[in-house]
Amino acid sequence: MKYAYYPGCSQESTAEEYNHSLQAVARRLEGIDLVEIEDWNCCGATPAATVNPALPHALAARNLAIAEEMGMEMVTPCAACYKNIRKASHVLNDDPDLLARINATLDGHQLGVAPRVRHPLDVVVNTIGVDNVPVERPLHGFKVASYYGCLITRPEGGFDDPERPQSMDRLMEALGAEAVEWPYKTKCCGGAIYMTTEAISMRLSADVLAHAKAAGANAVAVGCPFCQLLLDLYQDKLEAIKGTSFDMPIFFFSQLMGLAMGLDRKDLGLEKLVVPPFELLAQTIDAPDGAPEKPKKKRAEKLKTWGEA
Amino acid sequence: MTQQKAIRLGAEASAEMRFIEEEVALCYQCGTCSGACPVAAAGGMDYTPRAIMRMIQAGMEQEVLSSQTIWTCASCYACAVRCPRDIEITDVMTQLRNIALEKGYKARRGKVYNQGFMGIVRQHGRMWEPRLVVQYNLLTNPLNFLGLAPIGLKMIRKGKLRFLPDHPKGRSEIRGIFDGLEGGGE
Repeated sequence: MKYAYYPGCSQESTAEEYNHSLQAVARRLEGIDLVEIEDWNCCGATPAATVNPALPHALAARNLAIAEEMGMEMVTPCAACYKNIRKASHVLNDDPDLLARINATLDGHQLGVAPRVRHPLDVVVNTIGVDNVPVERPLHGFKVASYYGCLITRPEGGFDDPERPQSMDRLMEALGAEAVEWPYKTKCCGGAIYMTTEAISMRLSADVLAHAKAAGANAVAVGCPFCQLLLDLYQDKLEAIKGTSFDMPIFFFSQLMGLAMGLDRKDLGLEKLVVPPFELLAQTIDAPDGAPEKPKKKRAEKLKTWGEA
Repeated sequence: MTQQKAIRLGAEASAEMRFIEEEVALCYQCGTCSGACPVAAAGGMDYTPRAIMRMIQAGMEQEVLSSQTIWTCASCYACAVRCPRDIEITDVMTQLRNIALEKGYKARRGKVYNQGFMGIVRQHGRMWEPRLVVQYNLLTNPLNFLGLAPIGLKMIRKGKLRFLPDHPKGRSEIRGIFDGLEGGGE
């Protein structure tokens, strides 16, 4: 099936590897064909509604109108874009007056009925099915903490449970990884406030990584460019807050899919990760004898990460 | 404590205020929102979300609109999904920020960030992060550039900084959205 693909701004800058790996995965998978929306515009992230409550809906309307012209459901990998545009699609389909007011500001495109808006994780898990992902190099030895963050499952009404989502965990298991059970999978990283209130967002992100580590994870999987940025780019700061070492590669779930599907690694952007994943790869899927049975973990070190800064 | 009625529903109330009034009227102060809020737990709020709800009910406009809470809310929707009264607490916080900006409440960082962000989108049609970071820090705390240097260098090394903005073709259409709303909205 063809989908109108809306990459979102971050996927062209800080999270280019998310964009590239997802497109590479989609090329290999049966049943998902991403056709980029030509000339898409920014969704306005969190600031749009602060400046004007109708603005995020209006910005989304233009992108939705182009997707409607293409006659396709929309797919967007960014959790913030996904939330904004998904919400706008419901609001605009329910409120003809607002739709008319917004259509009046659009020049060149008019939105009739907003198409369905989906996160790629939803398409992979619920439409294609995790068993139909062709796994060539199972991720044995990977203990993945699936981190959904806020906006993949919230506000309610999306494709997975907002308190205890499972879709990414099931995908990780299908890829051959161990899905680590942990309590912080839907906690916020503070992405929306890290420019204005950095100290707080660092504290939130540090808690997320501390819990992933304490649960025994050796990798974190995300489906949001901001979660990835905070946990990866700022990981040394988060380590300083907790007074411990995390050494935790933060993958986009599409990169892990690409690894397991045996895709060309140059399409996966692994070298763009700030915390390098190569040691983990060398110990697991690239190890000459396959993954070791039990990666050694020092219990004392594990417990230490639970402590507050 | 000032007991103003401005935040209460009145004949002149804007759509945003009516929305806030209707939502908040449902609150019975159970505090589930405050328990769910990660920012409150991390010490980032002067009033918890529950307190904000009560203050709105009590008509404490000034205290609410000048609170730190409305600006440090991370819009994560943890409160909204758990609220037993189905109050859209996150959206209430967003609209409080909107009203605070409109009424000229002092919120320099929030104002510079949010309006700066949308100014870039208006001009370029898409976000251009380096400009936002430079603009925001110049206007709020230029000394912070020193602290940003290591992160910036890391990003450059990893090819995560875009030196030029994207230029989608429909930029005039996108600008039209902003102008159309500002003129005809509110």
